[in-house]
Amino acid sequence: MQITGMLWGSKLLEYVDFPRAEILGPEATTDEIQAMLDKWGLLLVKPVFKGGIGKKGKAGLIGFAKDLDTAIAEKERLYFAKHSHGNSVAKSEGVTFESGIPAEYEIYVSITDSTVYRAPTLTITHHGGVDIEELPEDKIATVPFDPLTGLKGFVISNTLRQLGAPNEIISPLVQNLPKLWDLYHNYGMNMLELNPIRMMPNAKGRLVPVACDFKCSFDTDDPNWKRLKLPANLDAGELCAYELEVNQLRTYQGQSDVFVTNDKGTVTAMTFGGGANALVTELLGDVGIISSDFGGNPPYEKMYEISRITYKHWLAQSNVLFIIGGKANNTDIYETFRAMADALRDHLNETGLKPLYVVIGRGGPNLIRGMGYMKDALDGMKIPYRMFGFDSSMSAVVNYAKDVDDWMEHKGGKAAIAKAMGVDSDSKTAA
Amino acid sequence: MSSLTSSGKHCRTPRGVAAFEHYYVGIDSLDQICNKEDRVCVLNIAGGESRTVTPVSHVYSGGNIVCGTMPGRSGTTMKTNAGDIPIYSNVAEAMEAGHEFNVAVVYVPPSGVKDSVIEAVRVNPGIDKVIILTEKVPLSDSRIIRQYCQQQGVDVFGANCLGIADAHKHIRIGGALGGNAPEESLVPGSIALFSNSGNFTTTIATYMLTAGWGTTVSVSSGKDVYIHFAAPEFTHAFHNDDRSKGAVMYIEPGGYYEHDIELKKPVVACIVGRWKAKLTRACGHAGAIAGAGDNAEAKEKWFMDKFGVDEIYTPENPVVSAKGAVVINIAHIPEALTAVMALNEVQPDFEPRGDLSLKPWFASDMEIGLPAELDAPLVTAMEPYNQQIAALLEQVGVVFPRQTLKDASGASMMDPKTQVSRLQGVSVLDASTHTFEENLVLSLAREYPDANGAALANVILNAYVNQANEITVAAADAAREAGNSPNTVLASAVAIVGPNKVAGAKAAAEAFKDLFGQSGLSNPADETFDISAIVDKAASGSAAEALLAESATARSEGMLAAIKERGVSSVFIRTLEALAERTGKAIAEDAITAAAAAHLIWKPLMHKRVSVTTLTNMPWHLRVFSTLIGSAAPGDQQQPGSFCGISDQELMNEWSFTETAYLALLGTKPTEEELFSLSILLGLLTTNGPGTISGQGAKGAVSADGPEVPERVQVNKSYIGFLTHTGFAHGGNGFEAMAFLMQQFKESGLKNPGDPNHGLDLATMALNYAKEYKAYKTKAKAAGDLSYAKIPCINHPVFKGKDVNYDPREVFVNDLIKEKGQYNIFLDYYHNMVEALAKTGVSKNVYCVNVDAVIAVILLKMLWQPYAEGKVSERQLESAAFTVFLFGRMIGSAAEIDDHTNRGRNMDTRTPASKVSYVG
Repeated sequence: MQITGMLWGSKLLEYVDFPRAEILGPEATTDEIQAMLDKWGLLLVKPVFKGGIGKKGKAGLIGFAKDLDTAIAEKERLYFAKHSHGNSVAKSEGVTFESGIPAEYEIYVSITDSTVYRAPTLTITHHGGVDIEELPEDKIATVPFDPLTGLKGFVISNTLRQLGAPNEIISPLVQNLPKLWDLYHNYGMNMLELNPIRMMPNAKGRLVPVACDFKCSFDTDDPNWKRLKLPANLDAGELCAYELEVNQLRTYQGQSDVFVTNDKGTVTAMTFGGGANALVTELLGDVGIISSDFGGNPPYEKMYEISRITYKHWLAQSNVLFIIGGKANNTDIYETFRAMADALRDHLNETGLKPLYVVIGRGGPNLIRGMGYMKDALDGMKIPYRMFGFDSSMSAVVNYAKDVDDWMEHKGGKAAIAKAMGVDSDSKTAA
Repeated sequence: MSSLTSSGKHCRTPRGVAAFEHYYVGIDSLDQICNKEDRVCVLNIAGGESRTVTPVSHVYSGGNIVCGTMPGRSGTTMKTNAGDIPIYSNVAEAMEAGHEFNVAVVYVPPSGVKDSVIEAVRVNPGIDKVIILTEKVPLSDSRIIRQYCQQQGVDVFGANCLGIADAHKHIRIGGALGGNAPEESLVPGSIALFSNSGNFTTTIATYMLTAGWGTTVSVSSGKDVYIHFAAPEFTHAFHNDDRSKGAVMYIEPGGYYEHDIELKKPVVACIVGRWKAKLTRACGHAGAIAGAGDNAEAKEKWFMDKFGVDEIYTPENPVVSAKGAVVINIAHIPEALTAVMALNEVQPDFEPRGDLSLKPWFASDMEIGLPAELDAPLVTAMEPYNQQIAALLEQVGVVFPRQTLKDASGASMMDPKTQVSRLQGVSVLDASTHTFEENLVLSLAREYPDANGAALANVILNAYVNQANEITVAAADAAREAGNSPNTVLASAVAIVGPNKVAGAKAAAEAFKDLFGQSGLSNPADETFDISAIVDKAASGSAAEALLAESATARSEGMLAAIKERGVSSVFIRTLEALAERTGKAIAEDAITAAAAAHLIWKPLMHKRVSVTTLTNMPWHLRVFSTLIGSAAPGDQQQPGSFCGISDQELMNEWSFTETAYLALLGTKPTEEELFSLSILLGLLTTNGPGTISGQGAKGAVSADGPEVPERVQVNKSYIGFLTHTGFAHGGNGFEAMAFLMQQFKESGLKNPGDPNHGLDLATMALNYAKEYKAYKTKAKAAGDLSYAKIPCINHPVFKGKDVNYDPREVFVNDLIKEKGQYNIFLDYYHNMVEALAKTGVSKNVYCVNVDAVIAVILLKMLWQPYAEGKVSERQLESAAFTVFLFGRMIGSAAEIDDHTNRGRNMDTRTPASKVSYVG
């Protein structure tokens, strides 16, 4: 779960009373926009993206308006703007209008947990508002701090002094930045970034840090962020229907991590273990539909549900059902195989048989009983298979699955299997 | 490396290994990581994962676990082959009991991990190692655990790891490294193993054996964002361990743990996860999500620089230096390791064990003509798996692992979302489209019979329905006359069907298993199956004794005639006939029942979906089914040769068991419409999951007999358990809705509830009632009476809150009825009424008509005419409603009884003393 932008960032900062730019959402009326212009003289129009989207400024995705006509024109330009960033392409769903904050200084602040220090770490510079990667090392500071005491004023004060920050910004930041720790630590974040914080003079001329952009991501394993009661669809852009359905099964016993790597693939890989997940997904490449980790000894019911959902979404287009893992330490092979076999039988009973080849590579407790159960189930459905023990190299088993897939897809294998199973070679289970 | 304070000063951590200036590390050498002296306390020891892992660890390590904790389990023990491990409620209590330990192993669920670790370390200053197995520990808790344990001078492993093991010392602490047979993978050798993946720790150790390498120490580090005992700590300890000549490190993307390590001994680094650069969120390991600087390619480069190599090692391009090699496939580790170690003049620890070539242990090609390159031939698996495979192939039927089945079942489940229960994987909605006899077979065989099987079931079930010559009829009548409820009446009869009554049929079923178990018979209706060898074997062996009798009985002749009449094809019946012909003897009556049981269950038995116990108990279940239905009819309706006026032979020849059940209940043959309605009713009533009281009664009865010796479980007594766990509130309450409807239609002059042209204005009737009810409710509320009478069978805790609500189960059945072109005035009235209740403001929205109403309206429709004509009393109606419930629930109970017999443990339904309370 990631949040970018002030539409929701502003609401989160409100929880900890951190000063922030005024903001109007996509539903803002012209009167409201005009009122904001009257008050601030300048407003920024920004597209609203779901999930984590960065570098909007560089991509020309921030509009500046000093009058209503420009504001409306920028709204029209950006309302459905597209933005490519890294591997992801995002489409805007509306815009925000944010008050232009006059300022002399722009601050960059982020909190994250560093694997270098193995501690929460503050990154800060008073040369913010730009990509921090572009700053020379001496203009930016990264300091770890004690999570038992949290981010304290003295941490900020010391760091800013080391950076040679002007005195007038230190005190306001010392007063306000510790609030971010409350948001970060107590609401389950694993990254929080404000860039820029603009140091705006108040009526008395004293500088106030005003957050003008916001980015954070949450730790999905931390239930604390659910206290924020963020709308469920906020992150929906990142997950497809299958991932959403499987995600509902997340409990601590048994992994249920899935990631759709190619929704046009032809091999459904049920993978067990984080290591196998890394290896198998890499070797399968484009023929793999999902990257998954179902290890951690899931109980029968959970494995059945995961399998049911997986088959429902992907079996129709699959040539190969591939069950793969290393030599399990604690995952009960009998229970997991029984669940996968039962779900397969129930699924095909419902949708009708289809040409399918099953490749299995596995080891672990109750291995032979598990393979035996699967064998009986597959024999009952006349589905051909090969099951390899843990003494076959996992990568060779992956390659075998790929070769079978290739044979079925391109060399008449699908028709041969269909004939042997007594089904139509085009028959597919319902998606 | 900096300290944890912002000032640049080092924080005051306890003094650990001098090499780590800025933070605490207590382990100086891998030789210290697992010690014979280590004493372990396992937190949440009786949790799901620990329960199977801890006993193996304890035995493997020579009994190093001194105690465990589990809230509420104080005073209990965990049994292991190396002695019992005492369990306490918490660490303080264990300390008070005098236990001393220096290692805490944490199996606590994620939300409790942080507090458990802090509490353990706080209470026991002697703890110097904490191993956290739990997955999905929140990052916000990990950072606190890190800092707290740093301050207390404790080494932490994990989280989300599988612990540590020393193959030389025969110790594993924490998780399940090596699985349930640690010796197979943890073979002593000279290589230290560090892995971000728990599974790969074991898998890589197994792969290394193929090149002759064993391990010193295996460290499963976990791959959360915080890795507490990470690459720097491992590397330092590895350098100081003289036993470890080299190391294998399995590393995934994300994190800078490996960036600065300096390696002084040879290492093979396996970096996997290039594709993870595409990820936008973690999949698999929580910490394996990387930025540009710590992705897989970056890490490959880090290690290549350390080793002074410029390419990845592959078998085709074996790039190594004496310092090490980088591989990106775990299968290349053994070969790369041998190459690196050879440059250091270190030879493998032992002769290679096995190889990593493709070895299919099971295969089926269904004659698809695989191309040669894919046609990997079957190989004999390694020991002991080859023996297990041989035993498996010989084994007839499944052998379920036993487990505690309190509140759990392998036969039924209820989806709390849809409220639809499933029996043997079939939803009760689908079950309602099948006949009674089909559902009875499903309960035990776990799949529906085909038409041939259903015909055979009808013969056998009808053959024993007439109780005229049995003592059961007297027992049931006596119970009925004493004023007992229908469940008590039927229980009295079922008590008579004890083990001696079915001993012959059970023996015959066993004989069929012996004769056909290895015969290759897959389809019991296969008319071409050659039985000659089996008949030879049966004639000359002990099977004949179980299958034949000196003379035929009227019933055995009747059954055989009916089987012929119905055109049933069965290999088992054919075998009996051939055997009788060969020996000149008669077919035993019990053998026909057993043949039917074997026929009905053969396919699932061969597919290992059911056990031999189910096969041999099936005749007993079938007999109970017949007895229970037969005893529902009063004794005066049962005469020798005829049941409720129908001859036994006609029942066997022509009647379905659903029709017979209707006959027993109402004394007439049902019309097609009535038969359809009864089937729906019985299907819907089948089960409500293992938590239902009737299910609990059945399971408790099995549990009390001790299913671990399944022969001792009294099947008929288990049905009594089900029957005694029904009553006026559970089973009899369907009558509430009927009584309500009878009240509404009493004066209506309704003749035929199935006629849509009934001439009644249901909308007005409903509106009038709603107004009346509103007045009543208002008055009752004004008087402070909140327990005013509620209208039965409307609204539902799940299906509510919309403007118009529907119970999907009711919708399903209603559609079924409509599809058949049938009509039910009572259901129509119910729908009118929920609308009227909303119109008059009694309800805020239109309530759903729930599935219980469906049961009531179908039943009332069946019984309306005799009731309206004064032929049956209200009490008889109530009794009939209750009995129908018992018929339907018998299906689900059969499944629970058989499932619990096969999977349950002795006395597993008991509630521990700690979970019960005194309320006096």
